[in-house]
Amino acid sequence: MTDTDRLAPGTPVRTFHHDPPHHTRLPRYARGKRGVVIEPEGRAELADDSARGLGNARVEQVYAVRFAARDLWGEGDHHVVLDLWESYLEEVPEGER
Amino acid sequence: MARINDVGGTQGFGAIDTTDDPEPFHADWEARVVGLLNALRAQGMFNTNEFRDAIESMPPREYLETSYYERWFKAICVLLERKGVIEPGELDD
Repeated sequence: MTDTDRLAPGTPVRTFHHDPPHHTRLPRYARGKRGVVIEPEGRAELADDSARGLGNARVEQVYAVRFAARDLWGEGDHHVVLDLWESYLEEVPEGER
Repeated sequence: MARINDVGGTQGFGAIDTTDDPEPFHADWEARVVGLLNALRAQGMFNTNEFRDAIESMPPREYLETSYYERWFKAICVLLERKGVIEPGELDD
């Protein structure tokens, strides 16, 4: 893990809950949800930035994040893994885990 | 709310058709749209995420009533207009 990989495997995270007025790779069903970081996947241009054609897209770490189906849809025993850019995620504070 | 393309987990769209379709295109114009997109991206006219954004920005009703490659073509037109390559309404005829 380098200093640019802020979120270690196993870190509990929460996804953003706002609705950006442009392309994003965080699907609606996974907004404002809690998951767990599996591992970093490498750095990539933030799709939200490049979608606006500004030419200065931020490059961020992308993480594989695992969600329990029950947390996404209220039912199901399986998991869903999404590749998500770092700015989609915030670490769940110690007191809320 | 998210835009009309973002329907993962939504009910009412019926089962996903997972049968294999050996034909990549069902009309010549569909293949031409793919060629047009590839040529424009190769020229750096716009990037893949701008293209996706243009598709997702379609009015919801129009989005649901158009086919996959029709959406591609409409998005290409929107981007060419935005980039000043064509005039507004130039393709209406």
